[in-house]
Amino acid sequence: METFNNSKPILLFLLLPCLLLYSLIAFNSSSVEAAMHTNNWAVLVCTSRFWFNYRHMANTLSLYRTVKRLGIPDERIILMLADDMACNTRNKYPAQVFNNENHRLNLYGDNVEVDYRGYEVTVENFLRVLTGRHETAVPRSKRLLSDEGSHILLYMTGHGGDEFLKFQDSEELQSHDLADAVKQMKEKHRFKELLIMVDTCQAATLFNQLQSPGVLAIGSSMKGENSYSHHLDSDVGVSVVDRFTYYTLAFFERLNIYDNASLSSSFSSYNPSLLMSTAYYRKDLYKRNLEEVPVTNFFGSVMETIHTDAAYKALSRINSGRFEAQTSLDQSVHHIEKRMPMKVNDQEETHNIIPEGEEGASKCPWSTFWNKFRKGENVDTLVNYGLVAMIPLLVISTWLVQ
Amino acid sequence: MEKLKKKIRSFSFWNWVIASIIFRLILIYFPNNLNLSSRPEVSTPLTSFRRLSEGYWLKQLSMSPYAGSMYHGSPLLLSLLGPLTVKRIEGQPNHLLYSLVSVIADVVSAMLIRATGQNLQVAYFGTLKSFDLVKQIEGSEVHSPGDVAALIYLCNPFTIVACMGLSTSPIENMAVILCLYGACSRLIPLAAFGWVIATHMSLYPAILIIPVIFLLGRGPDAPPRKLFLQMHQEKGVLNQSKLPPCFSWGPIIHFAFWALLWSVYVLVLCGISLKQFGGLWEMFKSTYGFILTVEDLSPNIGVLWYFFAEVFEFFWNFFLIVFHANILFMILPLAIRLHHRPCYLAYVAVCSMLKSYPSVGDSALYSGLLGWFVNELSDMQFSLFLFCGYVGVSPLSPVMHNLWIWRGTGNANFYFATTMVYACLQIVLVVEGVSAMLNHDRKLRSLITGKPRDAKS
Repeated sequence: METFNNSKPILLFLLLPCLLLYSLIAFNSSSVEAAMHTNNWAVLVCTSRFWFNYRHMANTLSLYRTVKRLGIPDERIILMLADDMACNTRNKYPAQVFNNENHRLNLYGDNVEVDYRGYEVTVENFLRVLTGRHETAVPRSKRLLSDEGSHILLYMTGHGGDEFLKFQDSEELQSHDLADAVKQMKEKHRFKELLIMVDTCQAATLFNQLQSPGVLAIGSSMKGENSYSHHLDSDVGVSVVDRFTYYTLAFFERLNIYDNASLSSSFSSYNPSLLMSTAYYRKDLYKRNLEEVPVTNFFGSVMETIHTDAAYKALSRINSGRFEAQTSLDQSVHHIEKRMPMKVNDQEETHNIIPEGEEGASKCPWSTFWNKFRKGENVDTLVNYGLVAMIPLLVISTWLVQ
Repeated sequence: MEKLKKKIRSFSFWNWVIASIIFRLILIYFPNNLNLSSRPEVSTPLTSFRRLSEGYWLKQLSMSPYAGSMYHGSPLLLSLLGPLTVKRIEGQPNHLLYSLVSVIADVVSAMLIRATGQNLQVAYFGTLKSFDLVKQIEGSEVHSPGDVAALIYLCNPFTIVACMGLSTSPIENMAVILCLYGACSRLIPLAAFGWVIATHMSLYPAILIIPVIFLLGRGPDAPPRKLFLQMHQEKGVLNQSKLPPCFSWGPIIHFAFWALLWSVYVLVLCGISLKQFGGLWEMFKSTYGFILTVEDLSPNIGVLWYFFAEVFEFFWNFFLIVFHANILFMILPLAIRLHHRPCYLAYVAVCSMLKSYPSVGDSALYSGLLGWFVNELSDMQFSLFLFCGYVGVSPLSPVMHNLWIWRGTGNANFYFATTMVYACLQIVLVVEGVSAMLNHDRKLRSLITGKPRDAKS
């Protein structure tokens, strides 16, 4: 009887952390935007093939070069090209692709990694890349492995029209397909922010149907307008670059990885008279002020580093029952490989964000010590104390027995 | 005159000790410790320094130290020696602190060997006195076993190489010697501690339980008990106080208690430090399991790597049992025959022929312990052959390794030949040692009873 009376405050005691945990979970599920920006991805798509669409490939390769220059590595770039220009029999400069008639830059230079080439650039593959729904045999380099902290740049160029984009002269991607894919991406937390840049005729119609928050879109021309090429290279024999991309590059060539020029300055650098079309951007779905967003948020890879003194803790270190059962070597490596965000991961993140003082409901030093011990922070010191204590114990015992 | 002799002897002993310490310190300052830690003879998967630092690094990254099957030692060693593997002092050679720890371990082992040897010497003289044989041996050269053994241990090139090769064998040897010292001097907690730590670090010192039981029950080496009875029968004097004590079980129980206590302590510490990485079962699998199953077949100074490379997997279990039981089967009959000489039994146990991963650190240990019996084994046959054999094998083994691995003009058989010779030498040493010891007992008996008996070799 006594123990039952004593157990009532203990029950209340136990309820408090449960309530706290529940509130944490509730808080967490409502604020996914609390996810930090952790990585940048770029999906660059050239939807045309054949020699006379040289400029589309040059557009894409120019963006590829810019994005790499500003810091996004090849593992984070999905490049989809028909890739039939550089080694085309009609190319006077074999294995070279230029975007300017001064031939200053060879875009097809040292390390161009094309992920989808030739006939693999299809609407189906494009949508699979965006939504992440691949066959099991598709290699990692062909997947968009973004998570809820990713900023993605999606650049598309080719021939388009009112609410469609032509893929390789045989298929078309419609605006509602794109909006659908983006909606799926949002549901699956595959991006934090998405910038869609389209350089085709009547580009702005392609993102008419978008509804997902966190998406910023800019197109080279509005409904009823064409996007024009910039100039013809008489040596190569075709137009080598489109106007919109040309002026985009003119903006970016002045930048390096440390500049924090804002997106609004980029967007306002387009002159309609020079473009011969109106570059229209859509920012109703994007909550942040464009003046504050640096271009390197999408076009480069500059991130905030947080310095901690603690040793790096591998993924499965938080003490929940399932993880403790799986901490042999194979599983821990497997966990690092699996990049699906799991519930416990979110809990981990919120644990990091919320200060420690709110965690333990009890102020008893023993329980905080036991909590710390369970988390494994004091293990090493405990073992060291144990080892050091062995020696006086030995000495005393030997002396006593004598 | 006697005092002067003794003084000279003790003075030269300390001279040698200091000279060996200085030699080791000089060797530390050679670049990269002369690359000794990469020699297969010195660093085995159990004692390698690189594996220790890898285990420590993995631990620092909050991963299991046994991940990747690199480190196979005790987690307590990681906490003790791990920080030393990374500590760098400006302007000093790398791993200076670790080498100093090895040197200190060597010196402590030598001092303990000396103390145990003195114990043995006191016991030896005591028995000789009780047999009234002191006059007969006073003329001949009687060396102090403690000094000789300690000097052999310190100045043995194998020990120096093991120390400079940054292996963990100096510390393992120190634990074994601590156990034997405690057992000889009747310091039971110390003996239990040494035994537990030695078994924890490598599996084979567990066999020392048998000599330690005899040491604690009966006392250090003495001629067989029936000799005393025979002598008293002959001389007709029955002086109970001069008889060696009967086998007493009290110290054994005491030892068992302390061994249990220390093992629980050590296992609890290991369990705490490995709590997140699979706990004690993981540790046993990676340390004892690794030793018993001989997973790593990289060449070393033993013979098991070659053997298991050519045996079909189907027969592995059988041969593993045969090899590991060999050590047991060797000790048990010897325990019956030599139960009155437990220190010698301990020496044979330490030899541990056909170990999974032997290294020169093991040979350092048993060569050192051989020095305790320098008086009893003075008439050992083949002593020159064995000495020359060891001297010959030691440089040949690195040469054959070089021919095989680096130049490619030899093959594994070259290296295996030297390891086979080494194993043969070990076996011959043990066999001849045992027969020499039995001969010594027979001689004592003939001296006491006055009846000459044929010395069987």
